[in-house]
Amino acid sequence: MIEKERIPMEEQPGPRSKEELDANKMPFEEYCRKVFDPGNEFEKPAALSGVRWMSCTMYIFTPHAVSNLAELGAEVVKIEMPRMGDPMKHTSPFNECYYYPLHDERPMTGQGIGCVNANVNEYFITMDYHREEMKEPFYRLVRMSDGLTECYRPGTFDRWKQSYRYLMEINPRFIYVWGGGFGYGPKVFGGSYDILGQSHAGLASITGFHEDFGGHPVKHTNWCIDWYSGTMITVGVLAALYWRRKTGLGTMIEFSQVQCATRCCGYGVPLYGRFGIVRQRWGNWDTQLCVHGIIICGKSDYPDAKNPQLRDEARYVMVSAFNDPDFKELCNIIKRPDLYEKYQKHKDRVEAEAQVEIYDALEKWAADKSRSEVVKILTDAGLLAMPVYNDMEVYESPHYRMRGTVRWQFDPIFGDQLVHSTYSCGLMSKTPRRKFWDFRPVGADNVKIYHEMLGYPISTIKEWYDKRLI
Amino acid sequence: MCDIIWCKKCNTVNYLDPFNFWNWEGKVKCAGCDTVYYIYMIQGQMYKGPEERPGEEPDILPLYADQPLNGYEAFKPGIEGKTRPYNCLPREIYLGKADWRKFSIRNWPMRAWAPQPPSAGIAGSHGFKWDIEKLSPEVWEEFLEKKKKGEVRDW
Repeated sequence: MIEKERIPMEEQPGPRSKEELDANKMPFEEYCRKVFDPGNEFEKPAALSGVRWMSCTMYIFTPHAVSNLAELGAEVVKIEMPRMGDPMKHTSPFNECYYYPLHDERPMTGQGIGCVNANVNEYFITMDYHREEMKEPFYRLVRMSDGLTECYRPGTFDRWKQSYRYLMEINPRFIYVWGGGFGYGPKVFGGSYDILGQSHAGLASITGFHEDFGGHPVKHTNWCIDWYSGTMITVGVLAALYWRRKTGLGTMIEFSQVQCATRCCGYGVPLYGRFGIVRQRWGNWDTQLCVHGIIICGKSDYPDAKNPQLRDEARYVMVSAFNDPDFKELCNIIKRPDLYEKYQKHKDRVEAEAQVEIYDALEKWAADKSRSEVVKILTDAGLLAMPVYNDMEVYESPHYRMRGTVRWQFDPIFGDQLVHSTYSCGLMSKTPRRKFWDFRPVGADNVKIYHEMLGYPISTIKEWYDKRLI
Repeated sequence: MCDIIWCKKCNTVNYLDPFNFWNWEGKVKCAGCDTVYYIYMIQGQMYKGPEERPGEEPDILPLYADQPLNGYEAFKPGIEGKTRPYNCLPREIYLGKADWRKFSIRNWPMRAWAPQPPSAGIAGSHGFKWDIEKLSPEVWEEFLEKKKKGEVRDW
């Protein structure tokens, strides 16, 4: 460029200094809203599009492992029992049905709501794959897929000639996942459920209040270990896909649910190894911090509600005031400065006897107050307090609504549906998760997969259907 | 898992599903030989019975029964006078009454009642859209009515 054409620095467009550049940037809050943009996920690309997965899974644990892939864009073919579908459709809650139709042949047999969120965006076909006649379509599907997840007893698929040993011979890039109770070892034939996982892993032993306070080992009301273990399988699958990019080879993943749940015990097992101490349950309080727990208040926020979950249960508050100034403030608020005098040091108040005395004093103070009164008094004083929300309050929460965590979706088959699964798993600016549908009726995609994808004539599909093979 | 009444007279196993029998006192009729048994269950445990009550009327029929010594010959749900029908009825949330729903809490249509009009094609395949107007015109009408009244909300 010749000298006279050069534009002086100060006349060039754009910021002139680092400070000006920073000043010109949009506020971070605004930036986040723009890049994540909840509600417009479908306009963005999906990270795993191009991946095809087979899901020979049942219940929650293994289906959810595959559902994670489908929410991220993988094409998933869920294979169910002919006419029946996944047993989870018939088990929960209380064998009651809220979704119709399950299948035109069984018009009065709907399905329960317990299986929602576990098979999102998947194509549903039926196949009795242990029958000799269905081996060919099964293998054909394997040739066209990147991987498979199954949950049968160890060795079952091997007996049916469809374990990793067999499938890697027809597709060396195949990633094979077995997810189940125990895996190989002394308890190889042991099946598992979430509650068994929580128990066998030692997790239930450290949940709930100690027996001294009338408590017992407690399992979580929902199947948190199913959801957790399923997600951990997905982590393994993503690593296996990356490994395959580098080596061109598939992998076999063997995933024991009870093994996975031990990870939730935190420092409990290492503690035993170091000192021989078995960790105790400490309920809604904390063994490391005090005050840092959940207390009960005397009055409900909804005294006239019909629902006992609101009328009687909306009384719990999480309170946190463990450092010295906060604890002092808390003691002043509850008019027990003597407690602060007695337990000035954190290491004194975190002791079991001290916690019993402090939480008792807190609950006595809250006995004539409602949950929201307690939260207001404490937060106004600069302390951390949060009501223990129920599902209705999660639904009403403006925070979740703004971020799209909980939202309404008109499911193409089942109609209006309140969803939280896909959108509760973190936001991704470029390739967010998305939900097209929650699940589909039994065999809904038989023609799409067998005819359109695998190329079988309609007459063959009808024949298989009549023979109860699909 | 459920408790059973194994009738020794006819070797029929009458299954007592926990949903109905978890806390229950009354009389059940054997699906095999019509013997009436009194039982009292507390928290899923058989507290009293089964005791024979000849000549008395049963309160409920089992949902399902079979005969293991006879090749598992089964009495499926809904055989008149033997087993009761399985209607898949969900309960009203607090009062325990059966309850179909056609609209969500924000009054949008929802497919939660039975029977649904048949909508599957070859081998049970389904399309990707619930054509409410065509398949459930009365629900569609009701929805439009609700909309007119301003009862249909975003949240």
